[in-house]
Amino acid sequence: MKLIELLLSPIAFSIGFLAPLLAQVMLAMNTELSMPIAYGTGLAISISFGIVAQSRGSWLWVKDHELGNESDHE
Amino acid sequence: MSQTMNKATVSLDSLNEAELDVLERKIAGKYMNMVPWGVVVWGIGNLIAWLAVWPLVLMDIIPLWLGFILATLNVALSYLPSHEAQHNIIASKGQPLRWLNELVGHLSTIPLVSPYRVLRYTHYEHHSHTNDPQLDPDFNVHANSGWHFLWKSIMNRQPGSGTGKAYPETLKRTGKEHMILDAVIYQGVYLVIMFTLAWAGYAIEAALLWWVPKQIATTYIEYYLSWAPHHPGNEQGRYTDTRGFKSRLGNLLSMGMQYHIIHHLYPRIPLSLTPAAYRELKPILQRRACNLGEL
Repeated sequence: MKLIELLLSPIAFSIGFLAPLLAQVMLAMNTELSMPIAYGTGLAISISFGIVAQSRGSWLWVKDHELGNESDHE
Repeated sequence: MSQTMNKATVSLDSLNEAELDVLERKIAGKYMNMVPWGVVVWGIGNLIAWLAVWPLVLMDIIPLWLGFILATLNVALSYLPSHEAQHNIIASKGQPLRWLNELVGHLSTIPLVSPYRVLRYTHYEHHSHTNDPQLDPDFNVHANSGWHFLWKSIMNRQPGSGTGKAYPETLKRTGKEHMILDAVIYQGVYLVIMFTLAWAGYAIEAALLWWVPKQIATTYIEYYLSWAPHHPGNEQGRYTDTRGFKSRLGNLLSMGMQYHIIHHLYPRIPLSLTPAAYRELKPILQRRACNLGEL
């Protein structure tokens, strides 16, 4: 159960998907960039986002109710 | 034409509620109980097309940007065939083609990473309790405007969003909590595939052929299937919880949802026949004071 919770967590998504995605985007944009630097930067950025998403419950920092955007029915 | 309409209106006015109800059901019945073969081909063909995009892109046969467009279309088109199956439109229990109904239901929503059984039973609850803040599992897409909907749709997908629990809570309430496992398995398998592809060097391809298309398609589907036909969503009742509306994008690009009111009144009418059923039922719906907008 813990393993499944971990797999579905924002941290897992940031390490499992966002980090290599950012690294490969950086490598595609700058072919002279070394792979360790690209992946290191990708991991640093994505894990930071992942920690925020994990603790705040939102990848975008803000939460709906914080902006007073609840609909009339809520 | 207007004379015919006037005659129809006059004759409808002479009917009492029970007679009107019989007439309405008689008209609707003409559009039911036929196998929508187009939806069968659509559901299975769309999945095959989406699966085919992957090798075509990975083997450099088509460019990634084209693959992204095709994949987005495929994922956006993946829900409706399953929706027909959810309502047993292809075949009901006990009919010879029941297996095909279930096959289309299960296969078509794979690109959306949405399990058929979860979709089916939560959707039934949406029909039973449309616009009920406590019981309608799709209530969380209600918003004051299209832009407000877009914001809510994005916020609903955040990891800490309480609205993400609406489907599991609906399944628990209706005694179908064992189906939550379907959603966990689907999401787990999806993430394992995405992580594997990403670390194997195909992160950009995985993002543009599945992750981003899934986000766009989810928003698009929620907008036309959940928000637009039920907006403003403050009424409950058979003839008032859903509206007819004229989409700026036309009927095809709004996925036939202009006529969603017909679907809520008679869920067994295939999607392709809802426009014709609407045209024939329109005078009755007008007499019932339905919100038909400019349709």
